[in-house]
Amino acid sequence: MENTMIKRKAARIAFIRSNTFQRLLLIAVLILLYAFFCAASPAFRRYTTLAYICNNMYYTLLLAIGVTFPIITGGTDLSMGTGLICYSLIGSYLMRMCGWPLWGAILATVLMGAAMGTVNGFGVAKLNIPPFIMTLGSMMFCRGMGSILTGGMSGTWPNYLEPGAGFRKIFRLVITADSGQRIPIPLGMVWMVLLAVIMTAVLNHTRTGRYIIGIGSGREALKLSGVNVVKWNMIAYIICGLFTGLAAVAYAGTFSNITPGEGAGFELNAIGAAIIGGTSMTGGSGSVFGAFLGVLLISLLQVGLPFIGLNANWQLLVTGCILMGAVTIDRLRKP
Amino acid sequence: MEDVILTMKGIDKTFPGVHALNHVDFDVRRGEVHALMGENGAGKSTLMKVLTGICAKDSGEIVFEGRTVEFRSPGEAQEAGIVIVHQELNMIGHLTVAQNIFIGREPKRGLFIDDARMNKEAAKLFAQLRIDIDPKETMSNLTVAKQQMCEIAKAISHDAKVIIFDEPTAALTENEIEQLFAIIQDLRAKGYGIVYISHRMDEIKRITDRVTVMRDGQYIGTLITAECTKEDIISMMVGRVIYEDPKTENRCPPGAPVVLKVEHLNAGRLVRDVSFELHQGEILGFAGLVGAGRTETARALFGADPRDSGDIYIDGKKAEIHSPRDAVKAGIGYLSEDRKRFGAVLQKSVAENTTLASLQKFMKGIFIDKRREAGTAAEHVKALKTKTPDVEQPVKNLSGGNQQKVIIAKWLVSDARIMIFDEPTRGIDVGAKQEIYELMAKLAETGKSIIMISSELAEILRLSDRIIVMCEGRITGEMDIADATQEKIMAAATREIDQQRQAGAKEGSRP
Amino acid sequence: MKIRIERFRALRPVRAVGFSRVVLTLVLILLCLLFQALSAIVNHGSVFLTYERLISAVNYGYFIGFMALGVTFVIATGGIDFSIGSVMFAAGLISGYCFRHYGFPMAACLVMCPLIGMVFGLVNGFLVSYVRLPSFITSLGLMQIAKSVGSLFTRTQNVSWPGESEAGGWFRSLANLKITLSGGRVLNIPTGMILLIAVAVLCSVVLHKTRAGRYMLHLGSNREAVHLSGVDTRRWEILAYVICGTLAGFAAIFYVSCYTTVLPGKGDTFNNEAIAACVMGGTSMAGGLASILGTLIGTQMIAVMQEGILAMGLSISFQYALTALILISAVIADISSRRRN
Repeated sequence: MENTMIKRKAARIAFIRSNTFQRLLLIAVLILLYAFFCAASPAFRRYTTLAYICNNMYYTLLLAIGVTFPIITGGTDLSMGTGLICYSLIGSYLMRMCGWPLWGAILATVLMGAAMGTVNGFGVAKLNIPPFIMTLGSMMFCRGMGSILTGGMSGTWPNYLEPGAGFRKIFRLVITADSGQRIPIPLGMVWMVLLAVIMTAVLNHTRTGRYIIGIGSGREALKLSGVNVVKWNMIAYIICGLFTGLAAVAYAGTFSNITPGEGAGFELNAIGAAIIGGTSMTGGSGSVFGAFLGVLLISLLQVGLPFIGLNANWQLLVTGCILMGAVTIDRLRKP
Repeated sequence: MEDVILTMKGIDKTFPGVHALNHVDFDVRRGEVHALMGENGAGKSTLMKVLTGICAKDSGEIVFEGRTVEFRSPGEAQEAGIVIVHQELNMIGHLTVAQNIFIGREPKRGLFIDDARMNKEAAKLFAQLRIDIDPKETMSNLTVAKQQMCEIAKAISHDAKVIIFDEPTAALTENEIEQLFAIIQDLRAKGYGIVYISHRMDEIKRITDRVTVMRDGQYIGTLITAECTKEDIISMMVGRVIYEDPKTENRCPPGAPVVLKVEHLNAGRLVRDVSFELHQGEILGFAGLVGAGRTETARALFGADPRDSGDIYIDGKKAEIHSPRDAVKAGIGYLSEDRKRFGAVLQKSVAENTTLASLQKFMKGIFIDKRREAGTAAEHVKALKTKTPDVEQPVKNLSGGNQQKVIIAKWLVSDARIMIFDEPTRGIDVGAKQEIYELMAKLAETGKSIIMISSELAEILRLSDRIIVMCEGRITGEMDIADATQEKIMAAATREIDQQRQAGAKEGSRP
Repeated sequence: MKIRIERFRALRPVRAVGFSRVVLTLVLILLCLLFQALSAIVNHGSVFLTYERLISAVNYGYFIGFMALGVTFVIATGGIDFSIGSVMFAAGLISGYCFRHYGFPMAACLVMCPLIGMVFGLVNGFLVSYVRLPSFITSLGLMQIAKSVGSLFTRTQNVSWPGESEAGGWFRSLANLKITLSGGRVLNIPTGMILLIAVAVLCSVVLHKTRAGRYMLHLGSNREAVHLSGVDTRRWEILAYVICGTLAGFAAIFYVSCYTTVLPGKGDTFNNEAIAACVMGGTSMAGGLASILGTLIGTQMIAVMQEGILAMGLSISFQYALTALILISAVIADISSRRRN
């Protein structure tokens, strides 16, 4: 009798510690927060705000999905934010100054991300440089490089009136209703969900994902099983780099201006989101879906706070606190 | 013999300072369980490491299925069909059982891993072994016993021909051991060659066919289990030769005051209801097998690990020890078995390490009085005959024995009255061992009280005034040096299991 | 063995300073000469090593220097602090705003700077040593918080500290004391350099002569061994972060006295330069080894590089990229030298 009680209690504690619980909690918080903003501000209730939230979060979402992989190996990537700006700046430069076609610029942007990921991966996996130092270096490198190559000028990608503007429709489709009202449709969300599903599959159902989890959870055991640990550790960073490249395209596709020197801090939102979503800082477990939810939370706050009269500085404060809070929870959840 | 599947002949292996394996012979037949026995440090693990390609041998020959082989990595040995079920389990906690079993060779369907097939294959393996484990369960949720069974399943799935069990029952409960034995017997019947490393005499008697005994890196002999007694094996293990003169009488005067009293100490799985007393000027030896809970007792006593319950009295007064800081204040010093991790700050100098635990004594105002520090360090270097060019030398440049002396100096400087030596001579060469022994004896003479944890019986018998034997977290024997023999200690170190087996038979399971 | 030690004894004076630091100084001089040559080529015969440039480089070295000195303590314990740049700016913003809008006396504002830094250091240190969070994450979070606190306090306005002729402008002589000579010539005495060296000496004393420094270094080498020797590791670890934060706040005074204006939401680029200066100077990322003198030389290298890049007419972006390369190569050098041992 007593035994079953203890068992039940243990099961309850295990559940509270589990990622499922954290995600359920997160969903509840999301709903409550949305309801709160809706109640506090009539303007927030509009459909366009919702569309705006979506539009605003694509790049963070891609970064968060990407960084989940290095975090699962027990590492991190700090170069994503400035990298994103760097790649999309260079992309725009290639298009505007070198006459590259749009698809060429998109491809180059994504590949630049992957290349930087490879460099990070090489430094971390092969040279054993602590991940946060290695990626800090590439963060600074990207910050400088983007400006150097473009001469410190802002970059733009084709806007709605130019040829090639079609690529913006990938993310935001505007349809004109019969009444003449223009309704934005956050089409990008579809691709994001699709990518999240694909990366969840990669994480849970391919060798790549399995070995990346293995590296974070039992590196030695994996090595003894004859798996090339260096290679798969590198691949985690390459995936992250690739997604940073994609995020650069999403950023270029949703915002009109790319300013050199921006971007620092994007990676912190992404890392914070991943950790809130249940990806452990110590490695070994993580969830793409959780990162997705984490980004929703951060974006909701970013967009919602101005509606209740709190400016961008509060956003910064809140995201900083969320990052710290998420790590503290992660720490406390581990006995 | 045609049913011999594996032969190791004249295996020789030297580590710096240690002749770990000295022309050892060993063979395994199809369908037998062959026990490999010996004290800690006898060379069993090294022999198995050589076999599975974790270390390279210096000389000798390994013949497997009629071919001379040389494995360069555990992977190659696995491929050939020699698999080891490790004492410390090598599992990836966040993955499921099936995922662990097939790690590194996942079946694929298209782009994806065929998890369904893996689960099915794993279930088949478990059915074959008659084990009830859900292949989809996360590894870290399983008990140690079940994790071990997964390792066995993994071994079989590798198409193994020889399976090595390294102390498989060390962390298992009674029922689990029964289950394991059933599996092993099953495997034997199917023709696998099984190497079984264990300290537990009754297990050896129960499930093995032959016993090979090693001692000090040498092959002593092989017996047919059914034709020998427990005593035969023990006498082969300890040998009749005593390397150094054992102590014959308790040198500690009968009326010596009790400096440390531990009552009903409980901490985790490996410290259960431990009570003992330590007298002034006494060397109290803690004997037992690896994993008997001696280090854990020391760490709990020292405040390095949390205590569940129990009281500690120093000089008759109850001491509140909740952190190493409290322990040091109370006059206890702990010399860890793992000097590199827990003992010395290797990068730093002899002088800095000497004053590490009592730096507050070397302050002149807010500054460290480096001259006094160096002076004290030099004094201790001289007194302990530490071999170092000067006290500014980083400790990492010193040999193991001299590193140990620096750590001893650290506790002497901090005025520790109670010193806990955990495996004081591990990794120290023979000549230096002698010096450490003399040093410890001298410390006891000058009134220090010493707890010495050692897995080497000769060391225990040579130094201790009194001996406490632990097994499975409990004290299973306490004897005066005058009454102690190697056989008695060995018997006590394995006693718990025998008693529990009897108790287990009555109760069905143990809590 | 014996002979080798004897031979090394002859090198004692060099060893005392540290071989790497001698090399580093040589590199610093070479770097100056290189810029001298390069700027002559690029800018058609102009000279790099002018008095103004030197002063400018030295000015840049002040605030980077104070931050680098602080972060040396944290790196010595095996941690890292990414928040220093933003903390410096937050201190400059908040105390400058108090001066401008609340009429605080200048002296009080100057005291406020290190105090604000100390508070941030305390928070960071608490999270690292007591809650046992990884320092790189807590300091990144704190970086965001410092940025936002500074901006919130000043309502996202720039804060300009008073100029030399304005009331309260005397504080600038902390960094550069300007004396007008009889002939109308202005003599610029780099008081900041004197202060930086004084603080460096103080840091060096704390790191190498006091219990706190000793334990910080030991913590970075082998935390477990120190803990098992009965040392309260948490107390010393938190102290390292407090020192780091305080010095970052102190750096703010020198930043504003050279550059007057503090922008809200910025400052995070400087911590990388401070960390790079530290690692270049021979402080090991793995902890346990630290050199104050090395940090000082590393700082000057960063400063000269920055000045050199500007002198060649290149944008500050080159500085970022170059610092990155230097940081990574310094860490690789550190790792490989440890592996050799």
